[in-house]
Amino acid sequence: MNLPGFYALESAWFFLLLAPLILFYFLKLKRPRLQISSLVLWRQVINDQRVNSPFQRFKRNLLLLLQILLLSLLVLAAMQPFIRSAPQRAEYLPVLIDCSASMGALDKPGGISRLDEAKARVRELIDKLLPDQRLSLIAFHLTARRLTDFTDNKRLLHQALDKLTVSQVGSRLEDALRMTQALARTEQQIGTVLMLTDGNIPAEVEFELPFEVNFQLIPPGGQNIGITGVNARRAGARSWDVFTRLESSLAGQTSARVELLQDGKSAGEESVLLEPGKSQRLVFRVEASAPTSIEVRLHPEGFDSLNTDNVVFIDLPEARPLSVYASPELSTYRHALKGLEGITLFPDENGAGSAPEYDLVISESEESTAQDAPVACYIGVVPADLQKLVHIEDGTASIVDWHRSSELLEHVQLSGIQTTDDPHSAAGVQDAAYEQLGYEILAFGRAGPLILRKRTGARLAYYFLFHTDRSTFPYRVGFPILVANLVHVGLQQASLSEVPGHQTGVLPPQSLQPNHDYRVTSPDGGHSEVKSSEAGIISGVPAQTIGQYVIANEEKELLRVGISLLDAEETSLAAAQTIEFPETTVQASETSIQNDRPLWSTLALCAFCLLLVEWWFYQRPPGGLVP
Amino acid sequence: MEILAPKSQLTSLLDNQVLHRLERMRLAPRRRLTNRSRGEHLAGKGGTSTEFNDFRDYVPGDDVRYVDWNIFSRLHRPYLKLYKHEEEMHVVMLVDASSSMQFEGKFERAKQLAASFGLMGLMNVERVSVHVCHHQGQQPALLPPCTGRVSRQRLFSFLERIEGGGDFPIDGAIEALLRRHRGRGIVVILSDFLTFGDMERPLNQLYSCGLEVCGIQILSETELNPDVTGDVRFVDSETGETLDVSSAGDLLGLYHEHRASLERELEAQCRLRGGRFLSISSQAPIEWVLFDLLRRRGWVQ
Repeated sequence: MNLPGFYALESAWFFLLLAPLILFYFLKLKRPRLQISSLVLWRQVINDQRVNSPFQRFKRNLLLLLQILLLSLLVLAAMQPFIRSAPQRAEYLPVLIDCSASMGALDKPGGISRLDEAKARVRELIDKLLPDQRLSLIAFHLTARRLTDFTDNKRLLHQALDKLTVSQVGSRLEDALRMTQALARTEQQIGTVLMLTDGNIPAEVEFELPFEVNFQLIPPGGQNIGITGVNARRAGARSWDVFTRLESSLAGQTSARVELLQDGKSAGEESVLLEPGKSQRLVFRVEASAPTSIEVRLHPEGFDSLNTDNVVFIDLPEARPLSVYASPELSTYRHALKGLEGITLFPDENGAGSAPEYDLVISESEESTAQDAPVACYIGVVPADLQKLVHIEDGTASIVDWHRSSELLEHVQLSGIQTTDDPHSAAGVQDAAYEQLGYEILAFGRAGPLILRKRTGARLAYYFLFHTDRSTFPYRVGFPILVANLVHVGLQQASLSEVPGHQTGVLPPQSLQPNHDYRVTSPDGGHSEVKSSEAGIISGVPAQTIGQYVIANEEKELLRVGISLLDAEETSLAAAQTIEFPETTVQASETSIQNDRPLWSTLALCAFCLLLVEWWFYQRPPGGLVP
Repeated sequence: MEILAPKSQLTSLLDNQVLHRLERMRLAPRRRLTNRSRGEHLAGKGGTSTEFNDFRDYVPGDDVRYVDWNIFSRLHRPYLKLYKHEEEMHVVMLVDASSSMQFEGKFERAKQLAASFGLMGLMNVERVSVHVCHHQGQQPALLPPCTGRVSRQRLFSFLERIEGGGDFPIDGAIEALLRRHRGRGIVVILSDFLTFGDMERPLNQLYSCGLEVCGIQILSETELNPDVTGDVRFVDSETGETLDVSSAGDLLGLYHEHRASLERELEAQCRLRGGRFLSISSQAPIEWVLFDLLRRRGWVQ
């Protein structure tokens, strides 16, 4: 049992008022005098009453006792007592509130969202806040945001809480815990952290807990169905297949109608019936010769607790052939490229013709043409920044190992290939040295790397440190496969073969004019000004709202990017009962938040009731109670 | 202040009609406690009244005047004819005139009852005396024993003149009465019996002196059903002592228990000594008390 504490202990000095109260009581006590014939009977009554009731001595001065009790209750109320919720009180309590998409789920039709439920609990906590306690509200989803500093200002806390809304993103706990850890280091001693979530968070968190976590589980929402995946794949010269993945929560069987809108017009419709926890994939064929916006809408039949996962967006680019530049000297590559469909090869057979932009460049040198291409493949080139790490010696080299799962070397057999260029790493240079410079080794020789890959922004470059023409590789079956893979990578980078749907969180990097200012308008009307990098890439733009983001330059719309929730975890509304930390496991608390319970209002109410009883007792008609 | 009776009224205490009815009533004591003086109460022993009682054999020395000569002529044996003896009964009234009786007509009711019992005694040729106790340590006011119809006005005047006030407890008043009283009979005690003393000893003394005790407790409506509440300081009308009572409303139940207990105890003590006890309210009509209650209880005939 926790002993009660007093916040305003100095108010105990008011107990000194008992002295004048008692003094004035006896000085001013005036009973109405009533002359009666004889005291005989009344004296017997009093004597008998004293014998029968041990409290009669007190009852003689009942009014005084009531007044002492009344004063004591008022002074106790002024001392602001409280019952401790735990032996160690948390004077500084960070409150982590999950505001990810799943917190927007309703518990029943017309019910309240999980975030509203969490807010109600926090409001109760704020209302019962004692003067020496301070809260700091931290909202978290994919990232964390501190809503208030440690404060006991209830108005400020309520205001911050009222402004908190559901973000249409997934949830991750690490940032919030790190922020709390930083608070613990810089602000105050923090022993316990209160976390309110619906449990739709990663069950394993890589974070060393320096404090206790009070994991308050908000009951999850009701049944839900949502779109958890969307992507498009080219199905022909002017057509796309749009794949959507639907999932339902564990709560119950759900049915829905799925509608596909192309540039705002209905282009397809399907009906689905999903068992609890099951998923289904739908494919829509879309004809598009020009850039088009696709919107897939889900219309649940019946109750659907979460509506933010009912719509997804995907933007399909114009269907065009892949523009490939291959150096005229690389006849083997040009020969292999001719056999592939959907590409335009430059220069042509006559050595003429060029394109303003190339999607794929295959070259023997790092010439300027290749600098702008999103995908470049350099044959027999050692990058300038690797000159000190590797050098080419004459001799026979063979490929020892390679990354078979990489997009370039998929299904390519490299064993047994001989090359007369023998790349040697400098003495003491390990593979990590290449990685530090941003290179990934795709194929290993005996003395050094043979094939490297480097991503710079949105640009992808492959380096063959040996020249394929001086090897047996062009005579192997794997060579045309490698060229086909290269084209496939180019198609992907140019979004010509497959377009993925984009998740909320951060806007995917967009390739635009270098060093230009752009204005990004979010679906809710918010604007943000961004400047493209030297490579013409804009990145890091927050996108936490579902819908179309418009990128404009000097009031001219350049690009639209559709952002959707696309989070199977959020759609499933699954609730984790435990969170695994590296050294400990935190269980969801089944009890409600135990906070210190102030007693002053109860005492004040008791004093008021006592006042009423006293009034009734002395004003009631005679002959009431019989002892 | 003495209330003078109109000329048509014999006394201010009682109405003439009531007096007229009372003149035809007489006391009905349970025991034959009479004096040797001739009166109208039949004594248990033989006497010289005209009412025949019994016969007995003549023994030498008997007064020959009482020999029944008719029987002697028939039986040739002398028999003595015995008659009942009628003796005088002393009716003593003790009126409590202390301050405790000065509430809500208690004293007036006591004087009315004393006048009634006195009138019944006088009209039946009893010796009637009245003792009125006021202050402790002083001799009670006394109406000396008187008898006969002629003493009627004297009795009324005495009762009309007496005033209330004082602190004489009833137990002390009885002892003071016995110091001056002589004779057997009946004593009517008119009091509220609210005394701190013990009533057992004075009642024993009355019994020993040959007086049948008839106690009439007169209580006011305030004493029967007090209407008090909250914290009160009671002041004793006789002694001036005070008693602080808190939450008096809560104690009324206990008060009623004690009042009933006192009544039962006094009744038991009187019955134990061959006497009678009655408790009435000062607000009860005197006609109902005299002609209904007392008759039903067998106090009067």
